[in-house]
Amino acid sequence: MDQFLLVLVSGLASGAVYGLMGLGLVIIYRATDVVNFALASLATIGLYAALTLYDRGLPLILAAGAAIVVTAAVGLAARETVIRPLAHGELLSALVMTMAVSLIAESVISTIWGDQPQLFPSLVDGSVSFGDAAIPTQSLLTIGVAAVAMALVAYLFGRTTIGSAMRAVAESADTAQILGLGSQRIARVAWALGLGLGALAAILYAPRAGLLPTVLSAPLFRAFAGIFLGGLTSMYGAVIGGLTVGVLDNLAASYVSAGYRDTFVFSFTIVVLLIRPQGLFGVRAFQRV
Amino acid sequence: MSVFSRSNLFRAGLGPLAAVALILVLHSGAIPPFQAYSVGLAGVYTILVLSVNLLAGWAGIWSIAHPAFFALGAYFAAYGSSHGWSLEVVVLGAAGCAAAFGAFLGGAGARFSMLYLALLTLAFTMVSLEVMGQWTGVTGGDQGIPMEKLHSALGLGTLASAGTQAQYIAVGAAGVALAVGALARPSALRMRLVAAKSHPLAARSVGIAPEAQSALAFAVSAVFAALAGVLLALVVGFVSPDPFSLALAISLIAACVLGGAGTLLGAVVGGAYLTWAPTAAESVGVPQPILQGVVLIAALLFLPGGVVPFLGRALRRLSARTTAQPPTPVEATEAAPPVPAPAPTAPELLRVDDVGVSFGGVKALEGASMTVRAGETVAIIGPNGAGKTTLLNVLSGLVGGGRVTGDAQYAGKPLLKSRSTARRGLGIGRTFQHAETFPELTVAENILCTHRRVTAQHRAKAAELLQSVGLAPFADRRPAELPFGLHKRLDLARALAEEPELLVLDEPFGGLDAAERTLLARQIVRQQQRGTAVVIIDHVLDDLFAVAHRVVAFDFGRPVGEGLPGTILDDPRVRSSYLGEGGDGVELPRRDGLTRTAVHLTAIDHSYGGVTALRGIDLAVARGAVLGVVGANGAGKSTLGQILHGTLAPTEGRRTVDGELRSALVPEGRALFKTLSLRENLEVAAYAAGIKGADLRTRLEQTGEWLPPRLRERMGMPAAGLSGGEQQILAIARALMARPDLLIVDEPALGLSPAMVTEVYARLGRLAREGMTVVLLEQSLTRAVSACHEVVVLHDGRVAAQGEPADPEFLAQAEQAYFDGEEDAPMAAAQG
Repeated sequence: MDQFLLVLVSGLASGAVYGLMGLGLVIIYRATDVVNFALASLATIGLYAALTLYDRGLPLILAAGAAIVVTAAVGLAARETVIRPLAHGELLSALVMTMAVSLIAESVISTIWGDQPQLFPSLVDGSVSFGDAAIPTQSLLTIGVAAVAMALVAYLFGRTTIGSAMRAVAESADTAQILGLGSQRIARVAWALGLGLGALAAILYAPRAGLLPTVLSAPLFRAFAGIFLGGLTSMYGAVIGGLTVGVLDNLAASYVSAGYRDTFVFSFTIVVLLIRPQGLFGVRAFQRV
Repeated sequence: MSVFSRSNLFRAGLGPLAAVALILVLHSGAIPPFQAYSVGLAGVYTILVLSVNLLAGWAGIWSIAHPAFFALGAYFAAYGSSHGWSLEVVVLGAAGCAAAFGAFLGGAGARFSMLYLALLTLAFTMVSLEVMGQWTGVTGGDQGIPMEKLHSALGLGTLASAGTQAQYIAVGAAGVALAVGALARPSALRMRLVAAKSHPLAARSVGIAPEAQSALAFAVSAVFAALAGVLLALVVGFVSPDPFSLALAISLIAACVLGGAGTLLGAVVGGAYLTWAPTAAESVGVPQPILQGVVLIAALLFLPGGVVPFLGRALRRLSARTTAQPPTPVEATEAAPPVPAPAPTAPELLRVDDVGVSFGGVKALEGASMTVRAGETVAIIGPNGAGKTTLLNVLSGLVGGGRVTGDAQYAGKPLLKSRSTARRGLGIGRTFQHAETFPELTVAENILCTHRRVTAQHRAKAAELLQSVGLAPFADRRPAELPFGLHKRLDLARALAEEPELLVLDEPFGGLDAAERTLLARQIVRQQQRGTAVVIIDHVLDDLFAVAHRVVAFDFGRPVGEGLPGTILDDPRVRSSYLGEGGDGVELPRRDGLTRTAVHLTAIDHSYGGVTALRGIDLAVARGAVLGVVGANGAGKSTLGQILHGTLAPTEGRRTVDGELRSALVPEGRALFKTLSLRENLEVAAYAAGIKGADLRTRLEQTGEWLPPRLRERMGMPAAGLSGGEQQILAIARALMARPDLLIVDEPALGLSPAMVTEVYARLGRLAREGMTVVLLEQSLTRAVSACHEVVVLHDGRVAAQGEPADPEFLAQAEQAYFDGEEDAPMAAAQG
């Protein structure tokens, strides 16, 4: 039972990371129709920058803030230079473009900082005893920070005018244009927000995994599984999908086979999608001639 | 011109010929051994890229699963070679397994959009990577396994791995694969794949099932990838998980984007790129991923479509200077021959009984009943939103997510249960309102793709058909190069291709000029002479009535009348469904003679996509006036509204405004943000107009007071929960948030109950009395007359009548102009 609790908490902590990344991906996709494959490698740039600043004596919390700022800034620059010139609605070109950005970003990281694994400091150490189980404080912090971030995102989208405007653009870019809603500004806000969430997820994930140029590719794929499970355009779906994937992933690793965890997670996702092609929270669109 | 015509065989021969030449060069020893090894690898990668490239270009499936199929072939060969399997067993086994998995992925994937399919195939590769790492008994884990010799069971000899023989075989196989691709290019298989990809709905209407097509395409593509894997094992002599990573999947997509999806030469370019990118990066002195990324970005930005199509276009542009455009065929414009009556004993072909269709909670059609006899032409008329197209979609099985109730019999058999792809085989052909052709096929291929196998006879018949509709000179053009009228003819020709017994035409006259309409009428008469039954809907009533035997009128999704073309409009219910119920008369502000002009349009022409929407419009909107713009669907109202609003720049002519004029448009169909609450809908509009903070709150409060109490109490609810009328009022309120001087309302009465229409109009009248300038775009003449200072009747993109409702002569003139345009020809004369 204690073992199960441990697996569950660690699954929720992984799921919180996948959920945050998924949320970032969904926010960017809804506002700009771009599936941002480069989210992970851009966030990795943020991580390395933060580590450099931390090594020079900056407090970790400020370094973490710097990671978010750097990630958003580099991402916005990439969007303005290579994504924006593409015609609107070119789903595939935009996706391949972010793949190219991702290739370049990873290569730049290994050129500047090297391929050797490095340690990334945790914000907290130690563990909390819960019965016989010792739950790492880092896991609890991950869950807590992710929950706060998600609540803030929910507030932004649900309670503020800019949030309403972002939801409006996501629902119908055409109508937004008739009303004169500036879609570029909304797009920039969405990119900055999405990338910031990706960087936050990276900061929570890196202490456990260590720092490598490709450290975030595994969580990125699981975040993708999560958002497809949740329904691609649903922000709640991204979070719940990410948490589901995280818990399943850890359960599979502990109770089924550590070597086949992705097989388990992806098979589950595909089975769900075969039954519900629009995902758990997606809306099925009516086709009309 | 069959698949095995001389020119095709020549093209198909180029691949093997090049391969033989390359093998001879290799054999001569002119290339150093390491480079020869690279050439062998390039052969392998060419086959692999070809498999991904043609799947992407022809079937529209961007697969991330191909590294897994590549690995499947390689491990099959290596494991088999060390367990005494013969060459034939390895090849057939690898191909069979790959085909089975591929068919599953393609079939399951047809239900998904491109992105979901990417995830499905990504999952396949992720799983395969874990299997490769874990199933050490077969794969040797990270260590890999060696590739031994393969013996042929049929005595064809022995294949040694990792030597010159393997390199020759890889190069030769690439040549053969290119030849297979070249032969598949002009085949029905490719046409049907491209058709299903580019327009799944239209493909269903000609009997092509997208699911079956994508399963078949994926299976074939997977087989090629697996065979490339077998060759990889042979060339390298060793198999480990390294080459089959996700990085390969990305590189493959990059290679396709770079070379050009769907082109054979593009696959060769892509294969060479995959093979030599590492060496190239090294010689330039940058890390390989950076080179790859930069090349990819440059290709996407500057060569969209890929290198090969780009060069092809450039070459064609050079040669186009010398070849002249084919002349537009000159057509006689004499009147259509008289409409033949169906035989009195003609059997009943179609019976529709109490059919209803609902989308979610919205009933698009209910209680529709009608019969059509063989050889009879039935016209269905009704205003926008009456359910006409939905009824046609029931007949061709394209109702999408709608729920269909009731019963329909076609030639004595139940129709509704049969699949949409089977209806073409039953003898039902249809056209679409916007001429939905397959843009990536040529005109001739658009017709030919209806056959599973294309024979010389099919080609001859297609050529004859194109000749008969006047498209013969354009047989090798793409539909996008045709003007709209010819585009519509192509849609018609495709519907006629297999001599249907029932022809379903969705607004065939819409957007055509007078000469084209006469030609179309002649085509329809020709079908009638053949004994084809026709169901036809349109808004161009005089043309419609000229070819119809019988007319059924619809309104609000229900039939409201039936009769002969000459008398149907005498039915008051039918007439009022178009012209509208007599309004209650909205009280309008009095106008003094000295009003200023708010917006002035001068000599406006507008056309898009080959359709001329507006011609020579001069219009002045006076400040404080309510101007009605009336016309049937397609008359150009919405276009005029957008031009008045200033969001659409006209092709010709000028829009001048008086000083600073803020205008707001309430689009047709309301276009609310349905997932946003009422308050958020209003806030977003204010935000868009730059109203913030306390100003926004005041504005929100004022608008809240303007709203009826029922809406005011539900400001936090999502707009999707409102009734149609409430949505309309909210949409107007949303437009008011920006404090406009000019309010343009597009079809405010569409789909509303009469009581709600009265309410909406009363509110618009009140706004006018408070000083707002209002432009009403209306289908109903009667409603516009009761609510406007001045009415403009649009017909076919022109101002056909203009005047004040107070003038009794104007009313008769406007009614005439609404149906007939400017000509004075009485309607009865149009019926031959």
